[in-house]
Amino acid sequence: MFIDSNIFWFLMGMLFVLVVAGFRGYAKDRGWILSWWKAALGIVWYAIFLLSFYAWGTLTGENEGEAGFKILLLGLFICLISGVGLWRLMAKKQ
Amino acid sequence: MTETSDKGISRRNILKLAGIAGVAIQAGGLVAAGKRAGKSSESYTGWESFNPGTQFFDRKPFEFAGPAHEPVGEVRRPSHTTDYVFGRVRNFQQTLRRHPDWKLGDPIENLEFIPELEAFYKEYPERLEWDYRTFTETIPTHYEDSRKYGNYYLLASAYEAGFSTHGGMLRRPSAPPEVSDFPNPNPMMGPARGPIPFKSPELAAEFVKEMAHRYGATLVGITKTTPNWLYSEGWRGCPADYDFSKMPAHWEYAIVIGIPMEWDVVLSNPQFGTSVDAYDRVSTAAIRLEGMIKFLGYPARSHTPLTDYDLIVPPHAVEAGLGEVGRTGFCITPEAGGNCRMAVVTTNLPLNTDNPINYGVARFCNKCKLCAQSCPSGAISLADSPDGLVIRGYEHWYINNGACYNYWQETMGPMGCRLCVATCPYSRKDNWIHEMARKIDPRDPTGAVSSGLLQIQKHLFPYPDVDDYHRPPLGRFASFRPEPPYLEAEKYLDIPITKPGK
Repeated sequence: MFIDSNIFWFLMGMLFVLVVAGFRGYAKDRGWILSWWKAALGIVWYAIFLLSFYAWGTLTGENEGEAGFKILLLGLFICLISGVGLWRLMAKKQ
Repeated sequence: MTETSDKGISRRNILKLAGIAGVAIQAGGLVAAGKRAGKSSESYTGWESFNPGTQFFDRKPFEFAGPAHEPVGEVRRPSHTTDYVFGRVRNFQQTLRRHPDWKLGDPIENLEFIPELEAFYKEYPERLEWDYRTFTETIPTHYEDSRKYGNYYLLASAYEAGFSTHGGMLRRPSAPPEVSDFPNPNPMMGPARGPIPFKSPELAAEFVKEMAHRYGATLVGITKTTPNWLYSEGWRGCPADYDFSKMPAHWEYAIVIGIPMEWDVVLSNPQFGTSVDAYDRVSTAAIRLEGMIKFLGYPARSHTPLTDYDLIVPPHAVEAGLGEVGRTGFCITPEAGGNCRMAVVTTNLPLNTDNPINYGVARFCNKCKLCAQSCPSGAISLADSPDGLVIRGYEHWYINNGACYNYWQETMGPMGCRLCVATCPYSRKDNWIHEMARKIDPRDPTGAVSSGLLQIQKHLFPYPDVDDYHRPPLGRFASFRPEPPYLEAEKYLDIPITKPGK
């Protein structure tokens, strides 16, 4: 099956590169200086964002869809709160 | 400055749009990949798999020298007549038939129990109440419920029957250990050979474990057999006047093996689950192991759920490093949690033994209590710790098996409950979410990870109300999770079916 294949994960990796490139373009437009620690924090934030979806899918797959959806909402809530803080950090001039 | 394409959109804007699309596709892709991971047959730890990779938890960092059990008082060996619930209730039922007018509150002496049973009931009076209730209330009511709702659970019972049929073919020892455990001459292969020496106990243990996995065992560990955990009477194949006071010398080592029940079925307990799937498989694997050891010229005896035991398994499993004692009194393993049915093969083949492990179950069980809060019979203690809970000279969690057995007789479908297995947060399949918890939690000395995971488990995962597990009108014969589609009688059977409801 495609989803089990290495090609799927290769494509996900390519998409990640695309997302990073798009984010860099966005940061340039806003005049943000992306230091290494800002980039690292951004990757952690994005990992939590994606893991929330991955967890939802996994729990749905093992017939725990209700809990999975609540965990997705919890993950997105955490992303929303931390995203606001991250946004302010990104805008810092160092 | 941004470069502009022919159509007037800047390259950077194209990249930004592609990035946004990438986020959406990645999120969607991960939902689909997650769904696949959750369903994957590879996540069904040990179920119908025959390979050594099923014992995937690295126990080394959590080992300690042991023993895991130290007596805190006078030790009494377990009894088939009193402690073993099937033996006790059989005795109780026979006694009650002889004294049908006896009521709770009447003098216990009027029942003319055998002395051991009378002493047991005086020590644990609540068990007498539960055993009485089982035969005077629960079983008669269950007959009515079965007539009314039985068809709804018919396929679950049919599923169990397949395993039971095979289990019935497994051979029990028919002579005392000194005879039946020793290799018999095989007419096809000539006289029995003497013990074939191994190069070392380490290599012997390695070989035995490899074979155990290949015979179907998900988990295997080795320890020395503890005489205190042998039944005090009634060993298979032994006459009543057999000397049960001494452990046969050739029972020196206990090879403990474990196999989980089917994962989807176990979550549909207490109404649709069965123990017999794993009973059959673990009994079969143990008998295969016994045969292999005998072939090499060593005595061996398997102690299994379907051919009975001459010893109790959970403490041996704990000493063999398979897991820790949980609130339910049985062995909670890292790979399968409480979803693990076990058997033992005793032998004198010199083997390297394993160390017990401490990977955080004791601490977790003290704060979790999900099994106790879900238990319809209240058989599991809600205490904050097992301090003071002493059974037969050892301090650890144990359950009221009279209350437990009473609810077994109330459930529909195959007999039993197993709700404590289904609700235990350790009893989970092997996908990345549970793997992460298995790896991180035991290495967290603060307990913060397990506390956080426990809050998620308690507040985000649905738990039916405890009364819902009971018969109508109090309950609705609820299951922890719906039955798997292949056990839905309404889908397959052309018969009148009544679904229970409040």
